[in-house]
Amino acid sequence: MQHQASWLHRKRTRDVALVACFLLPALTIFFLYRILPLGWNLWLSFHTWSPLKPAKWIGLEHYEEMLLDDDVFWQALTNTLIFIGASPLAIAAALGIALLVNSDLRGASVYRTIVFTSYPLMTVAVGIIWRWLYDERGGFINYVLRSSGVVDEPVKFLQSFDLALACVILAEFWQVLGFFMIILLTGLQSIPQHLYEAARVDGVPPVARFFRITLPLLRPSIFLCIVVGILNSFTSFDLVYVMTNGGPGHATELLITYIYKSGFGQTRFDYAAALTVVQFLLLIVLTWLANRLSGGNAGAMER
Amino acid sequence: MRRAPTWPRHAIMVAVCTLMLIPFYWVVKTSLTGENIYAYPPRILPQDPHLFSYVDVWYLIPFTRYLLNSLIVTAMAICGNLLFNTAAGYALTKDFPAKRWVILLFLSCMLIPFQATIIPAYLITSWLGVLNTHLGIALPLLSTIICIFVFKASFEAVPKSLIDAARIDGLSEWRIVVRIMLPLSKPAIATNVILTFIWSWNAFMWPLIVTRTADMQTLPLGLARFLSVMENTTGALYAFVVMVLVPGLAIFLMAQKEFIRGLTSGATKG
Amino acid sequence: MSAGIDWRAMVRHRFFYVPVALAILTAGWNAYVAAYDDGLIEGEVHDAAGKPIPGATVIFFERNFVNYQEKFRATTDAAGRFRFTDMQVHIGQLEARVEDGRRSERFQMNLWFRSQNVQLPPLVLGSPRA
Repeated sequence: MQHQASWLHRKRTRDVALVACFLLPALTIFFLYRILPLGWNLWLSFHTWSPLKPAKWIGLEHYEEMLLDDDVFWQALTNTLIFIGASPLAIAAALGIALLVNSDLRGASVYRTIVFTSYPLMTVAVGIIWRWLYDERGGFINYVLRSSGVVDEPVKFLQSFDLALACVILAEFWQVLGFFMIILLTGLQSIPQHLYEAARVDGVPPVARFFRITLPLLRPSIFLCIVVGILNSFTSFDLVYVMTNGGPGHATELLITYIYKSGFGQTRFDYAAALTVVQFLLLIVLTWLANRLSGGNAGAMER
Repeated sequence: MRRAPTWPRHAIMVAVCTLMLIPFYWVVKTSLTGENIYAYPPRILPQDPHLFSYVDVWYLIPFTRYLLNSLIVTAMAICGNLLFNTAAGYALTKDFPAKRWVILLFLSCMLIPFQATIIPAYLITSWLGVLNTHLGIALPLLSTIICIFVFKASFEAVPKSLIDAARIDGLSEWRIVVRIMLPLSKPAIATNVILTFIWSWNAFMWPLIVTRTADMQTLPLGLARFLSVMENTTGALYAFVVMVLVPGLAIFLMAQKEFIRGLTSGATKG
Repeated sequence: MSAGIDWRAMVRHRFFYVPVALAILTAGWNAYVAAYDDGLIEGEVHDAAGKPIPGATVIFFERNFVNYQEKFRATTDAAGRFRFTDMQVHIGQLEARVEDGRRSERFQMNLWFRSQNVQLPPLVLGSPRA
């Protein structure tokens, strides 16, 4: 009995040791590059620090500066919120396309591929492509507007205080539309057909079928699209860097570009850390809000 | 029952696809044209098309250097991912104390976007001494949580009888993974490879932060750098864009199914 | 217990033949380039009637950002042909001149790769300047 217990004990610890070994590399990477930075950001935001001087506790001074003195922060925050707020438009458009492509249309897979091709491209390249489309001289958009007589002078899209952000958002839409479409398609295809059959037998008109059956069952996919839309405002650094670099005059400055400029342009790592904490909180709050609006539980329906 | 006519749907889809393809066409047209690209009005078709802009770009910028850097970083990321994610996915199929906490840990790491970590990640990389090296660029990309769960799901689908038989045969755990589970998880491997490829090939912000010298730059960085170097009247910049996009597009078109499957498996998991 | 590799199925799979085809194309192109990269630029100078002109000066302009600047000169031999050797360029302009003031038009030369051997079309001298 004693011998057996110790044998089991050894095998169990061997198992656990093996599992730990297997998990260790992945866990190290995530610890180093996700968890530790999160805590470090928080710590750094409460100190002043530069690479040559030791850190000193200053409490909420950075946050005070950010919220009270920093106009660029508020501009960046507004721009980021506008960016996020525009994503429902893209989701609606993607939903329309997904509905069209979902039916047994001949060549549906070709349409799907074409719409989705813009997603796996380098965002830097997408930025350059759209920069050229918006160009006053050689750009397609100005050409269409001028030759159809809508405007007389070329419109300086990316240098206009009012239009620049909309232009960047449009470029983002072009890239992310395919992704939303795929997510929504997957959701559409997982809706059981018998629900539609039952509704048709009951004489429910198509529009009502859409709103009562399709939309509610699509909630998890829509929730995912909303979360991706929120994250896109953070990952759009590439687009803004290449298209406008935050200009003209911070009109397209997003939180993430401002963080980059503070941290690596002005080398104010501590202030950038405080900005990152605020951005992360924004992400959490918005995701939680989206969760609540989709009915909780990431939108999943009770059956 | 009369079917609704399908031509309106086709018409809308053709219109949508045309809109989606116009940016590609415009850039390709600009890279091929033989005239001053800033002349107004821009022509719809390239005038005097020639491929010499591509030759020019080849000698003007260190394209092979950028390509090599991107390839090395991507190869490192793919190898690291396959190794680490397989191991972690397999470990998650077993029962062990604190398993729930570990899974929760992984899921919560998914909530932390990369952009929330750049400042400390830079400091950590510099502390590790791998700043401005291929390893430094690849390090945060060496493991992704979505792929761990893809492997976990795939491994859990392997029938227990096979594993038990292998254990009786005396295979060690790692051998079980390699000889039994991986060959049965080819879709998971393909998904992992293609997702890692796309993410590390297109990565811009992290290499921007980590590289300090021009000869370590990857393709996206080279592209952004070329943007600021010269504004010439030939389509050289756009030839560069096309050259940069072609490998990514080719790989995507070749592995579409796996890519889409990888993205949606992450979606339905959520 | 584990499945063996099915070679025939693997070769037909797109993940195999696409990279292999690309590798073969790349190797073929590199071989072509290696065979033809001696840097020889050859051509003829004709007058307006089509007669070859010996002793004409041919100037090679190399590109310098947005301009072209004179770099090399060569003289046509008795048959009106000229040749530049050891050229390390992929782009340039050429012009032929004669002592009595006649010049040819600037010929824009675009090559496919650096130091490509190329036979240019004849440079035709225009009428003498007033």
